[in-house]
Amino acid sequence: MILVNKDTKVIVQGATGKMGGTHTKRMLDYGTKLVAGVTPGRGGEKAHGLPVYDTMAEAVRETGAETSVIFVPPYLALDAGIEALNAGIKLLVVITEGIPPQDTAKLVHYVNEKNAYLIGPNCPGIITPGECLIGILPGSIFKSGPVAMISKSGTLTYEIALALSDAGLGQSTCVGIGGDPIKGLDYQTLLTLFDKDPATQAIVLIGEIGGNAEEEAAEFIKANIKKPVVAFIAGQTAPPGKRMGHAGAIVSGGKGTAQSKIEALAAANVQVASTPAEVAKTVGEKLKQLTKA
Amino acid sequence: MNLYEYEAKQIFSEFGIPVPPSVRITKIEELSKVHFGYPLTLKCQVLSGGRGKAGGIKFPKSLNEGKEIAKDLLKLEIGGSKTQSLLVEPRVNIAQELYLAVTLDRNKGPIFIASAEGGIEIESSHNVLTMPIPYPYHPFVGRELAEKLQLKGQALVKVADIANKLYKVFEARDLDLAEINPLIITDGGDVLALDGKIIVNDDSIDRQKSFAGWQEKHLDELTQRERRAKLTGLNLVELDGNIGILCNGAGLTMATMDMVKSFGGKPANFLDVGGGSDQDKTLAALDIVNENPDVKVILLNILGGITACDEVANALVKFIKRNPNRTLVVRLRGNNQDLAEKILADSGLKLIPGLEDAVTEAVKKSKTAA
Repeated sequence: MILVNKDTKVIVQGATGKMGGTHTKRMLDYGTKLVAGVTPGRGGEKAHGLPVYDTMAEAVRETGAETSVIFVPPYLALDAGIEALNAGIKLLVVITEGIPPQDTAKLVHYVNEKNAYLIGPNCPGIITPGECLIGILPGSIFKSGPVAMISKSGTLTYEIALALSDAGLGQSTCVGIGGDPIKGLDYQTLLTLFDKDPATQAIVLIGEIGGNAEEEAAEFIKANIKKPVVAFIAGQTAPPGKRMGHAGAIVSGGKGTAQSKIEALAAANVQVASTPAEVAKTVGEKLKQLTKA
Repeated sequence: MNLYEYEAKQIFSEFGIPVPPSVRITKIEELSKVHFGYPLTLKCQVLSGGRGKAGGIKFPKSLNEGKEIAKDLLKLEIGGSKTQSLLVEPRVNIAQELYLAVTLDRNKGPIFIASAEGGIEIESSHNVLTMPIPYPYHPFVGRELAEKLQLKGQALVKVADIANKLYKVFEARDLDLAEINPLIITDGGDVLALDGKIIVNDDSIDRQKSFAGWQEKHLDELTQRERRAKLTGLNLVELDGNIGILCNGAGLTMATMDMVKSFGGKPANFLDVGGGSDQDKTLAALDIVNENPDVKVILLNILGGITACDEVANALVKFIKRNPNRTLVVRLRGNNQDLAEKILADSGLKLIPGLEDAVTEAVKKSKTAA
């Protein structure tokens, strides 16, 4: 497992909001060690039993947490993120969708300056099954085991996690990196972390059209990653020039096609599955080969 | 949101970027009232690119010729976009053409893209430089950029000033692209934005008061149903197949389309209902797909994470009541699945829990349904 475990203390920014509140309850039910909520002007209240503070500085001082999850509205997310980083947060998980990309670019600048990690934005979060769920992932789908997942898409992650779990293949940690063009953690950093993680035996990479992150990841895997990687790429039928739901999912000027990504991954000896069920089947075969070897 | 050239130039002008004088006309007669002298520049105002190549820019030498040309240009359709109006400008004498743009790079953040050759198609040019823009911004960045374009003296200072202002527009108005192509240096040493393109970031429009209400008149490239979906908060992209597809989440929707295709079917659309959609939004989505006359089967694939299956089931019950003859294939799994099954028990609709089974069924029905 990487980044989060049963001891990770988490602050929820926006725990008193509608969506933040719903998921605060779900994360608590899952067993995540939530320690506080932060909503300016609501300090002293409780949210699902958690103490609420007005500022991140106070919440971090009182709880010693180094991880925060952001559910605040899009135009407030940059401020909330910088506030968290200044208070000493080292892992920032931003669930919010629709953050202006220039705001995200500024947030990434501060994240790098503070040597912190950012997951998202516009992502489902991160889960180490049985230990810690941060975000909006449906916890019941995930089972503990040796397969890591890195994904641009929320529901597609659930689909593939479901196929893995149905096939008896549990997960070490699953990270949703989000579907925005400008984002925090990329495939490379996470592949490196998973390659070093003793609980991980195989890695599933879920990509989609747009940009060249998958092509770069393919090069990186070829040169650096020792564990087997199985990939799934969405958007083979996407017409060029159209944004497919995610802000980053667009084929423009002939670049960012599913075909280009699939070819790059195949050239790096990464097996690319064509359905979620096939991902599970391929991962199963890879793990069997490992035990034989 | 793409803006028209005349709108981009108005915004540039507000930020102090010099543009040529201009008049916008929608009728041929209005040309008589323009007193820039001849030859003139007449430019179609369309949202599509490739205007020059499509014959959308002309230089009449007299009022009579101008009227003839204006008549044709006002009827011109470029890349599916109808000409709404013409921008009339005096013809200027160009000593040098440049290209200058600010955009967001996925890896580097905001960048300048520039070239000492203007009026070009930037994607196919080799003589292009990109420069990451440091945060926070300082005006020396503009001078560094101008120096890289091998400019000197007054030209360097003037282009640097425009680059700085272009970044200011980009940041202040939340743009995805601020482009001047060409940026020209005239015989007299003036620097002018001869053409301008602005793309406003869609996620930022709600905090940009000056763009309030603009979206509706800038959705030219969308079909009627795509436009309606966008204004309802749904993501719809239409294709030419016959299986209507509705899912929650962009990645799952794309994956479902891909599977339909690889199982031998033809997707009619991409429709992401979004996370946590309630009954009304799901019903609106079903209605929009249902209106597409090419659609023979609707495949609904919902994996309930945030989305509650019972909300989807309620929408389905209402939809079936209104459209009893519509062929539906529904895969519904996840949160509140048991409630959804109860709600749908009397509807005659069978839920298919497996994704591959559901896609297989939809493809089969698309070949038999009337």
